[in-house]
Amino acid sequence: MSMHDDEIQGASRRQVLKSGMIAAAGAALAGTPAMLIGRRAFAAEPAKPAEIIVRAWGGVWVDALDQGVSQSFTEATGIRVRHDLTEDNEIQPKIWAAVAQNRVPPIHVNWDTSTNATKSALRGVTLDLSDLSNLSQLLPVARPKGLEGWPIVNTYSYVYVLAYRTEAFPDGAPKSWNVMLEPRFKGRVALYNDGIGFHPSAQVAGGGKVSDIPGNMAPAWEFIRKLKAQQPLLGEDPDFTNWFQQGEIDVACTIISNAREAKQNGIPVAWTVPQEGAKVDTDALWVPKGLPENEAYWAKQYVNHAISKGAQQAWTEKLGLPGVQPGLTPPADLAGDPAYPTTDEDFARLISVPTPVLVEHERDWFQTFKEIMQG
Amino acid sequence: MPRPSRTAYPLSWRLLDAAEAVVGAMRPKRPEIVVPALFLAPAILLVAVLVWGLAGMVGDSLHVLDTATFLPAAEASLGNYAQLADRPIYATVIRRSLVAGVIVTAATLLLAFPYAYVMVRTSSSGLRRLLLIGLFLPFFIGQVVRAYGWLIILGNKGIVNAAITALGFEPLKLIYTYETILFGLVQYMLPFAVLLIAPAITAISEEMEMAAASLGANWWRGFTTVVLPLARPGLIAAGVVVFTLTLTDFAIPNILGGGTNDFAANAIYDAFFRISDAGLGAALALVLTFIGSTIVGVILAIAGAGTLGLGGRAGK
Repeated sequence: MSMHDDEIQGASRRQVLKSGMIAAAGAALAGTPAMLIGRRAFAAEPAKPAEIIVRAWGGVWVDALDQGVSQSFTEATGIRVRHDLTEDNEIQPKIWAAVAQNRVPPIHVNWDTSTNATKSALRGVTLDLSDLSNLSQLLPVARPKGLEGWPIVNTYSYVYVLAYRTEAFPDGAPKSWNVMLEPRFKGRVALYNDGIGFHPSAQVAGGGKVSDIPGNMAPAWEFIRKLKAQQPLLGEDPDFTNWFQQGEIDVACTIISNAREAKQNGIPVAWTVPQEGAKVDTDALWVPKGLPENEAYWAKQYVNHAISKGAQQAWTEKLGLPGVQPGLTPPADLAGDPAYPTTDEDFARLISVPTPVLVEHERDWFQTFKEIMQG
Repeated sequence: MPRPSRTAYPLSWRLLDAAEAVVGAMRPKRPEIVVPALFLAPAILLVAVLVWGLAGMVGDSLHVLDTATFLPAAEASLGNYAQLADRPIYATVIRRSLVAGVIVTAATLLLAFPYAYVMVRTSSSGLRRLLLIGLFLPFFIGQVVRAYGWLIILGNKGIVNAAITALGFEPLKLIYTYETILFGLVQYMLPFAVLLIAPAITAISEEMEMAAASLGANWWRGFTTVVLPLARPGLIAAGVVVFTLTLTDFAIPNILGGGTNDFAANAIYDAFFRISDAGLGAALALVLTFIGSTIVGVILAIAGAGTLGLGGRAGK
């Protein structure tokens, strides 16, 4: 283990201990069950399960969660963390069905997009997280939009950047999303296969306004129709890294973490926030209803640990994403990067669509995007 | 003379004995009906589960998703079916799946028949063994792995394009097209078709071909007037299997299509898992099941139930 890793582990452990002591003090005052303190437990502390299961994305995503959150949680509590790599879209109906049928859900903690997490919260399958001790320290972006209380907690922001193969741009970074329409990139452009993250950028690149979302999306669809003629590749997170590695694409709209991972793997890839802006979004953690009481308790402690300052620093640093704790140190390669927003000015340059709007219009946008791309 | 061991009897006899013992204990009025019913019970149970599931999907398909609560609306309606009719994407993917079903079925039968014929008729045991290995080996490799294999072979920097560029030509776009999907599907379906055609050819006596030859038919005439008509049950069965598997395939269009050549199964997946609309997904799945079942029903009505080994008009 490197010194850096030692520091991260140490920081995480200290944070868990700190969180535990604060909560234990609060619990003593409020008469609620006591919190964890290291491996020791108060009498009222619920029994520890042998393990908790946390759903995660693969690749750099699960590595970051494991090294940034799960290992230090296990070290502090003795509870093993198992990562379930079922896609968030696929675990969702399983959880919904389990809760509806009064069965125990297949996972303890869901790492989810805020849009999907909001759907689950609307459906009423999420546990209330408002008693977590670390919530009060978080930046406003952590609070879920369009929902009462804390059925989910946002854990970091991410930007859908314009990633590009540097060899294809010897004169420097492209300035506009319109570069995707250049004839030389025909067949060498990539988007997410559901268009996620691209609609707002396409809206502006197509001559429209962000304020017209969702009322008038015609400019976005017109831009995407032009892009269809470029025969784009459509895929998911791992595809982008693979396509860059295989030399299949030159430009893509993807989450910065994928582009950064490709770069860290030695692939000549860079990214930019074009003049039209780029969509910024958040991911979230939540705990499903229907778990045994003690498991639900420790699942919530996992979430509490994940939003603690130490875990946030370690986790989001590895992901290359800005966390929801104030005062985190950005990774050296991302400090000052417009795709790593930390201040209000940074966020103002990006395009943020409220989660309730995304939730309400996702199906319609998805179908329209598919109609254009499948035609 | 010692009594033979019970295990000396075939398993089927012992099962029948057991069934008759059960029926005897039950003392039904018509035991000749109950014994076959006992043996059919597992199959009936499986079909019942399928029908139960389909009935559940019919129920789901009649409730539109309420995006305010992400729960199905309480009142039943045909809203999901109306949405399928209104959004052109669904007609596109169903049409694409059907066209692929026809093309892949035709191409697969064309390739599978000579393969099966040579495999059955060859006098060389070495060649037969080679063809059998070629037939069964793909079953040890999953569909997804095989599809990814084609990405490695046909990719921009794949084996084929490496050879093309080494010869001084421009690389070709060989993946993420409709044609690539058809190619991948034919390769995937070929073993299924051979397995279904081979028994039909085996059942055709070689003497029949020799008799045709002795009556003056050349090989081609004997093949088209004797072998092909007699092999029709196998061809129909293989065609039905390949068509239905193609119509409902998910992995190959997903992997080789590059996200722009979805089939109906991909759209069903999207409805269930991407946009969380189980009602819409159920409606689309039922439409696909109805179309596929209708086509298969028409084929069997024309070709005869004998295709399924049920006797009747197979040999007409």
